[in-house]
Amino acid sequence: MSEDLKEEMKELKEEIANLKEELRDIVERKQKRSRGIYIDVGNRVHDYVEDVMEGVAEGIHGELEKSIFIGPQGVRIFRNRKLYRKEDEIEVSFHKVAKVMSSLGHEHRLGILNELMSGGKYINELQEQLSEITTSTLSSHLNVLEEAGLVVQEKVRGRYLITMPGRTAYKMARRVTRFLERRNHK
Amino acid sequence: MIWKNYQLDSTVSKATEDITLWRTGKGILEISKDTLVLPIKLNEQRKGYVFHGHGKLLLDTVVETEEGAIGRPVEKEIIEPFLMLGDIEEIQQHLSTADKEDLTETGYESEQKFVTKAEELCDQFLGRGRVHNHRCFGEDHGFVFAFLNEADKLDILVAKDSKLVYKAMDIVFVSNKNKVVLKSPSEVVCTDNGKSVIIKRGKSLIIRK
Repeated sequence: MSEDLKEEMKELKEEIANLKEELRDIVERKQKRSRGIYIDVGNRVHDYVEDVMEGVAEGIHGELEKSIFIGPQGVRIFRNRKLYRKEDEIEVSFHKVAKVMSSLGHEHRLGILNELMSGGKYINELQEQLSEITTSTLSSHLNVLEEAGLVVQEKVRGRYLITMPGRTAYKMARRVTRFLERRNHK
Repeated sequence: MIWKNYQLDSTVSKATEDITLWRTGKGILEISKDTLVLPIKLNEQRKGYVFHGHGKLLLDTVVETEEGAIGRPVEKEIIEPFLMLGDIEEIQQHLSTADKEDLTETGYESEQKFVTKAEELCDQFLGRGRVHNHRCFGEDHGFVFAFLNEADKLDILVAKDSKLVYKAMDIVFVSNKNKVVLKSPSEVVCTDNGKSVIIKRGKSLIIRK
């Protein structure tokens, strides 16, 4: 009889331990929910989103480690040339360079880039600003810029945005022109 | 008991017309007419579906920064089976029972073959085939999509209102209103209301305010 009682006590203790575990899980989930994004679709998905965020954080950390040195004097941001020399040396064919440059080589396309420098725009907004261009011409110019990677179109909203290379190319074209003009004046 | 086994319906249906499964300012997921549909149930309630046919996913995984836009939008034809958790009532109104011809067109000899494929997909996503029984997959709890990719792994899309997490083979995109994180093979970008940190892989770090 006492053996049975002991066995029962043992089982009860295990049950209590399991219940405590479950209670802890529920409390943790409630706390997480109150902190921000929480879609209650089960632990597996929740863990998955956490894994994704950890991956992103690791990516950021890894890149920061290569670029930033934090010392007693402060923070130094640098570029490690030795590490990335190979990437710098990748040759770009003249064909590709010509394609990018030719996409810049039109007054209207420069006008479009200029408009997009202040933020993403829908085609009708661009049309309003560049009324001298017909809609079909505007579309074909946007296609050229998109193909060259200077502009990207959102698939859902449909806005056109200038890309990082687009911004750099536009600034570069203006800078070179300004430099040449200044020299010619001298 | 908190954990329960999900069940797959044994009757395969098909879409009677094109259906938009999910649509926000950032993305759209549609399926075409005749796509095969199999409900996922928990306690006899529909909690999601497995689809196989033709689908299209559009996602604006582009980040606007002061330095210019970064990333490219996702535009994918979905021809592999995929899973959705989060019931939308309208789906049921646009379904009819699939016949043998519908199944054959999608490459299945019988209903059972599609059910088995759906089970495999669910097991791959839900692990041991269990889902949480508390307030899960409801209307207020957003949507989860799992798509089989070329590497036979799962691309995942989690969406709730303006919140979005998309993880595919070469991209992680997390967005909530004006806050966006993008991790692609070439860069990591974090933006928050115009402030941005851009880390170009092996190149430079740009912080803009």
